[in-house]
Amino acid sequence: MGEKITFKSYKEMPICAMSGADMTYNLTGSWRNVRPYYDFKVSPCRLGCPAMENIQRYIFLLTQEKYEEAWRELMEANPMPSVTGRVCFHPCMEKCTRKDFDQAINIPAIERSIGDRGLDNPGWMKKAPATKKETVAVVGGGPAGLSAAYYLARRGYPVTIFEADAVLGGTLRWGIPEYRLPNDVLDRVVAQIVGSGPITVKTGAALGRDVDLAKLEKEFAAVFVGVGLSRSRPLGVAGEEGRGIERGLDFLRRVNGGEPVNPGRSVAVVGGGNTAMDVARCARRAGAEVTVVYRRTMNEMPAIKDEIEEAEHEGVRFRFLAAPKSIERGASGPLTVVFQQMKLGDPDESGRRRPVPDGDATFTLSVNTMFTAIGEEADAAPFGKLLECDGNLIATKGEWGETSRKKIFAGGDVATGAASVVEAVAAGRKAAERISRMLSGEPEPAAEETGTISIENINTAYFTKGKRLLVPRIPLDEALAGYREIHTGYDDRMLRREADRCFSCGVCNFCDNCWVFCPDVAVRRLEAEYEFDYDFCKGCLVCVIECPRCAISTREEGK
Amino acid sequence: MNAPKIPLPELMTSGHLACQGCGATQAMRFALKALGPRTALVLPACCWSVIDGPFPHSSLKVPILHTAFEAAASTASGLKAGLEMRGDTETVVMAWAGDGGTFDIGIQALSGAAERNEDIIYCCYDNEAYMNTGIQRSSSTPIGAWTTTTPGVHWKKRPKKKMIDIMAAHSIPYIATASVAYPNDLIEKFRKAREIKGTRFLHVFAPCPTGWKLAPELSVSMARQAVTSKVFPLVEVTDNGRTWKVWKDFEPTPVKDYCMAQGRFRHLSEDELRLVAEGIEENWQYLLSREAGSAFVPGLQH
Ligand SMILES: Cc1cc2nc3c(=O)[nH]c(=O)nc-3n(C[C@H](O)[C@H](O)[C@H](O)COP(=O)(O)OP(=O)(O)OC[C@H]3O[C@@H](n4cnc5c(N)ncnc54)[C@H](O)[C@@H]3O)c2cc1C
Ligand SMILES: Cc1ncc(C[n+]2csc(CCOP(=O)(O)OP(=O)(O)O)c2C)c(N)n1
Ligand code: SF4
Ligand code: SF4
Ligand code: SF4
Ligand SMILES: [Mg+2]
Repeated sequence: MGEKITFKSYKEMPICAMSGADMTYNLTGSWRNVRPYYDFKVSPCRLGCPAMENIQRYIFLLTQEKYEEAWRELMEANPMPSVTGRVCFHPCMEKCTRKDFDQAINIPAIERSIGDRGLDNPGWMKKAPATKKETVAVVGGGPAGLSAAYYLARRGYPVTIFEADAVLGGTLRWGIPEYRLPNDVLDRVVAQIVGSGPITVKTGAALGRDVDLAKLEKEFAAVFVGVGLSRSRPLGVAGEEGRGIERGLDFLRRVNGGEPVNPGRSVAVVGGGNTAMDVARCARRAGAEVTVVYRRTMNEMPAIKDEIEEAEHEGVRFRFLAAPKSIERGASGPLTVVFQQMKLGDPDESGRRRPVPDGDATFTLSVNTMFTAIGEEADAAPFGKLLECDGNLIATKGEWGETSRKKIFAGGDVATGAASVVEAVAAGRKAAERISRMLSGEPEPAAEETGTISIENINTAYFTKGKRLLVPRIPLDEALAGYREIHTGYDDRMLRREADRCFSCGVCNFCDNCWVFCPDVAVRRLEAEYEFDYDFCKGCLVCVIECPRCAISTREEGK
Repeated sequence: MNAPKIPLPELMTSGHLACQGCGATQAMRFALKALGPRTALVLPACCWSVIDGPFPHSSLKVPILHTAFEAAASTASGLKAGLEMRGDTETVVMAWAGDGGTFDIGIQALSGAAERNEDIIYCCYDNEAYMNTGIQRSSSTPIGAWTTTTPGVHWKKRPKKKMIDIMAAHSIPYIATASVAYPNDLIEKFRKAREIKGTRFLHVFAPCPTGWKLAPELSVSMARQAVTSKVFPLVEVTDNGRTWKVWKDFEPTPVKDYCMAQGRFRHLSEDELRLVAEGIEENWQYLLSREAGSAFVPGLQH
């Protein structure tokens, strides 16, 4: 603030009308009736991500070429970005503001690049020491269990993972094939998580067979159960147990284990979920002509959209509104399967229209192998006696994975039914946070601010329309020749190009506009932020409109 | 933080007397950031003679010589001559006048200085009317606009004067239009002007929320839309009036959107708006023909 000059007599005046001081004695802030203030919002993509990844922030850090910081930010919410970046159904993109301008940001592609960079820089992961005395048992080494173990270990809790299988990974290893998620990537992800802190792994240790839940509850300060879904649902058609018919998951397990498979020339896959898609695509790779038969229509298919498109692209055929009715098989040779034609009736509890038989219409397919992939369910035997269940699933309350037993938490598919990797990861993290709060007596976090924005709040004049940068892929004939990963990932230049498309919704990214355009020089540009100088801000709100991303809000004065 | 988008040093301070959202202040701030502290200003009567502040205060950290409404270019010529006589060749002299002071009352002094190719920068900040005295029409006021002297049904029926053509006809080394919505471009043009000898004419579009009946927060947005709707094209004329360059790398927006955000145009009917838009398109085509060199302009051959 400057000084006001007042002359007491003409003798004090300069010989000609000459200025002696600036205008900062004049506090024009008194003209203001509305006040701008920096008010960062939660970007819509984050609200769309089940793991609540701070997508805006890690993309911003990328644009600053702060790769390690971007990786750290991402790992705060998701310990396996190299996995989700490859297989996630990316609900974040559905919410991306840029979708309403040109095309959503390719968030999973960016996530994958950051995750892979973290795998390539092992020094970034500094092992957390055991700083807590309370130990936690994690049962199941799929995404839910790994995530819970990671976030507990990072907080210093010694964790023991009990896994029934000989290796960790769960469905990531035995379900999802290598052309989407190579084993070596998964191995490195698992190794990074296991090496991130005080984690002990016990493989070949099945709950209900080798370990007992009640015993774990006694020995450990807390238990997290994330055993997923281990049983395939039966078709309920006579003759489904026999030659020429295989459970889709069993087939995938054989394929993913590197066993040679030969389903024959003609294959039918019954089901419409991710398992059906992967089975169909693996059968294509084994040289079969494949028809997926689903009892509803394409719109109701629970499989990830990308997977359906990929399957079509690879030559998988689809028949909708049909369900197997009977199976005839001779001593050898192809089976004859009769399918009942269906139509959509009234909505069921999932909101999807229920398929019902369409009169007597049927058709037959002659196939060498028919795979069943109509869903997986949990085996409640290992926990059903101790924990309250909802059908075969563990009943949980709220978002933190609490069960009917105070010390036991659950999450992932065993609590939700067939869901997704990112939801399992989110459940594992949330349970870990809750367990940590329970053990340390930390208070519950305050409800998070979720004020967000939409395309109307973006000043689109500052952006040029373009297209999402797709992840490069290998040619179709090479893809079908084996299990090589189809998508090869971004290089640095592509990563930067896609990151630069992000609007940074609701969060300042230091574009300078408010500082540049303030007619009253009332925005101070400091070391790492901007500040309004309310002594002088006249409240014109030019800064609010010219902020491309709505990082400034307004408030009426005196209110 | 990243490298700043525009130079950091401030030669304009807070506390000045401009209205909320005034484009003329942004124009001055950017221009001085480009020209630097070795700049002397000549201000004829205009809003800026008030904005700057009352004696003995000034919101600019460069010397200002206030002069008569019609005399900006001649005073600047004299000031430059005086500095040269004292051996100062570094200080750049800039006359800074409104559209009234440039298009109307100051035009003979400006024409004289340009014809003599005086070594000055002349900047007209254009808010499209005599704003300081209460929004009277000038020859820069666009067709269709309300002012206090073109009220009601008597809205302005004549198009804006083609000032760039008039200046090009003087065969001076550098002429450019700029907009406060494009600060980098504006700063680059002033920097370029600083390096050139002779008369340099800069015409900066500077919205006036008060005089345009415009919400102050929209002032930069209007300046931008003036460019993208071709109402105020960004043009550079070099090579003594011979080479014209028109900036075209933008997403076009409708003239109607530009007009309807401003109270001064809101009385216009659909038909009238269409006529306004046609005039703007005609002017754009004319500029493109100048750029292509296809317009026959006599008297520019040297
Ligand atoms: C073929 C297929 C493809 C899929 N594709 C996708 C996809 O592309 N994207 C996506 O987001 N989701 C996909 N999913 C779903 C996703 O894989 C699951 O939602 C997710 O893996 C669930 O994680 P989880 O940790 O709860 O269970 P799981 O991944 O099933 O892990 C459970 C773990 O617990 C172990 N376990 C089981 N029983 C016991 C026991 N009694 N004692 C000890 N350990 C036990 C298992 O061996 C396993 O390691 C797919 C699922 C399948 C089947
Ligand atoms: C010879 C003369 N006539 C009239 C005036 C009154 N006057 C002072 S500023 C002004 C208007 C200036 O208009 P413009 O040049 O467009 O600048 P603006 O105020 O719009 O910034 C007028 C008419 C004057 N100062 N001198
Ligand atoms: S543009 Fe960027 S910040 Fe905005 S929703 Fe999309 S990814 Fe998130
Ligand atoms: S642009 Fe400047 S004066 Fe206007 S509201 Fe923002 S800070 Fe205040
Ligand atoms: S205008 Fe730019 S610098 Fe200012 S708050 Fe918005 S994003 Fe940040
Ligand atoms: Mg004017």
